[in-house]
Amino acid sequence: MSVSKQINQCQVRLEIGDITDFEVEVFVFYARKDLKLGTGFGNAITMRGGPSIQKELDEFGTAEVANVFITEAGNMKAKHIIHAVGPKFQEPDIEEKLASTVTNALKKATEKGFKQIAFPAMGAGFYGIPLPDCARIMFENIGNYLQNSSDFKEIVVRVLDNREYQPFLTEFENLN
Amino acid sequence: MGRVRSHNAEKVLERLEKKINRQIATSLAACVHCGNCSSCCHYVLANPDDPTYQPSYKADQLRKLFKRHVDWTGRVIPWWVKAKSVYTDEELEELKDVVFGKCTNCRRCSINCPMGVDHATFNRMARGLLVSVGIMPEGVAVVSKDQWEIGNQMGVLKEDYIDTLEWMEEELQEEFGNPEVKIPVDKMDCDIVYSINPREVKYDPRTIADAAKIFHLAGANWTMPSEGWDMTNFGLFSGDDDLGGAVGRRLYEKVEELRGGRLVISECGHGYRSTRCEAPNWGKIDVPFVMESSVITMLNYIKQGRIKVDKIRNEGSYTFHDSCNNARSCGLFEEPRELLNLVVSDIREMYPNRTENYCCTGGGGAMSMSEYTPLRLKSGKIKAEQLEATGANFVVTSCHNCVDGLTDIIRHYKLDMKVTQLVNLVAEALVIPEKVVVPEEEVPVEVEKPEEAAIFAGKKILVVDDEPDIRIFFTSVLEDNGATVIEASDGDQAIEMLRAEKPDLVTLDLNMPGKDGGQVFEAIRKDEELAQTRVCIVTGRPELRRLIYDRPVAPPEGYLDKPVDEETLIFNCRKILELG
Repeated sequence: MSVSKQINQCQVRLEIGDITDFEVEVFVFYARKDLKLGTGFGNAITMRGGPSIQKELDEFGTAEVANVFITEAGNMKAKHIIHAVGPKFQEPDIEEKLASTVTNALKKATEKGFKQIAFPAMGAGFYGIPLPDCARIMFENIGNYLQNSSDFKEIVVRVLDNREYQPFLTEFENLN
Repeated sequence: MGRVRSHNAEKVLERLEKKINRQIATSLAACVHCGNCSSCCHYVLANPDDPTYQPSYKADQLRKLFKRHVDWTGRVIPWWVKAKSVYTDEELEELKDVVFGKCTNCRRCSINCPMGVDHATFNRMARGLLVSVGIMPEGVAVVSKDQWEIGNQMGVLKEDYIDTLEWMEEELQEEFGNPEVKIPVDKMDCDIVYSINPREVKYDPRTIADAAKIFHLAGANWTMPSEGWDMTNFGLFSGDDDLGGAVGRRLYEKVEELRGGRLVISECGHGYRSTRCEAPNWGKIDVPFVMESSVITMLNYIKQGRIKVDKIRNEGSYTFHDSCNNARSCGLFEEPRELLNLVVSDIREMYPNRTENYCCTGGGGAMSMSEYTPLRLKSGKIKAEQLEATGANFVVTSCHNCVDGLTDIIRHYKLDMKVTQLVNLVAEALVIPEKVVVPEEEVPVEVEKPEEAAIFAGKKILVVDDEPDIRIFFTSVLEDNGATVIEASDGDQAIEMLRAEKPDLVTLDLNMPGKDGGQVFEAIRKDEELAQTRVCIVTGRPELRRLIYDRPVAPPEGYLDKPVDEETLIFNCRKILELG
């Protein structure tokens, strides 16, 4: 299942799939403040990428919300990972913080010269950000970023399942 | 000026008002504090002088908020109805210890309440409110995140799951001498889509092989899904309805995508309850196909003559432990007994039983919350007494949580008993037609068996355990099968020997004095020279696996639960060393 559209020379695609098993220049991992990979996607990164990724992360110490860090992706299909520390569990100002986290990830990718980036449904699921809000904030910020930038050739939003896909599809249609 | 409330407390109260429905409100109002529930709770029985274990006390933690913020009585006469609010994160942490640490949501109190109050529902709801603001035991967070993002509770990656199915398929082909024996994956239009617990992939793949053997001999048209295969649901334990609905939806959608006739759920109490009874409500889903427990499937196969069993093959005496979720919440208690009666000869009933049975202590996600293990084991005294009174050699259960919970109780209370499941007993009792039709006067053709003594030839294995008996047992089994075995009795010695001897495999006990197995494991993975060493974690305390999960390093290649028998040890070491 997949849809895509062109915005300012960039192909934006929405699809279902496992972001940790995806051949892409860089993908975004929704990181914790202690920068430990932990479980979930973190577990998949450790298992597929190997221990070097956590080792690289350990050099950064700890972080605040909306901070982003970049590491190699070890043995994964992707080349790099942007570890973006997003807001969690109904914390205050969650929408503003999520918007900054998405934008900072895009800026970091631009700064490193990446042309292709993949995002998961940022903060949805375990961290409890409602899917419609997550989809709206992500596509709003991706859209805004692309208005002023022609750095990316492709931005992929890779969601886990049909349940995540439907609200993202609704917001994707508003993306321009 | 009113007291300032923390952000999290505000959010909990906001969500509380949204979650209260007529059923919950009626139950919250109905309790008359008669105390009948107290005598039903295994926590109270183990802690008779501590009122904080009483089900009504635990429910009061939610009731006081309901009275204060939702019910009119709390606004008018708060002192009379004991209405209270919550203000600080510390109070929320205290609530966490009550609802996660002092209750397994077993519902024994619920079915014994004369007013029909379902305390376990309150408890689950309170858990959900806390989880929504990120307040939960670390183990709950670990497991929930794996299930949200990887799709199963134990973080099993798709390639590892498929690899395990292929491995089991090869074992079966070898056993039957027939390459046509399959564990079909994603086969369309099958009568049965078979879903399992990730524990089966990670710790007990023989249950998959046993089920496959039964399906094969029954001539079933069946398949296993490549994704959405986990029928467990941590949403039931964490109180997170969104997780509960999402997990159910993945499974149901996969069955529909495969155009499966019905969904068969392997032996798992909470998985059965969640998948068959709860997830359609959490996810607001109309499920268009039949869902049944594998217990029913196996029983029907025997009744219909599709498989034949010989109960003589299962020696020893057996008792049956009713899983709380199967028996109390789903009414599944006669069918497992009927099936057990067909595959074993000596059955000794446990008392009380069926809906009145006591919890194994591993329910409600308790196995993932190691901080409450001492409380849990203490509360298991009544379970231990029940088990011991049967005098049985084996306790049979249709639940993977119960397997772990009972194993812990048996070990803690030093009972001489083993835990098994119905699928293992049915598979063991199977009469394989090819074997039966060989005429007696003919000399059966010798099936070429692998050279048992040479299984581990050329392999060096380091056995690390502080218990000499375990080291002797492991060493003799592995040496008898061709391995060169070296031993270490503590963590420091293990690391020293690893560097000096470079073994192919380490069997590593977790619970050791000094440097524990978790620290040794992390040291191995972080050492460039040793990082590739294959490691099999061995523990008698399943909750200690968290020591491994939480480490920021690549996971071990295998796990073994104590007590370990010879067959299991060889089987798992072969798998880890990829010896076919």
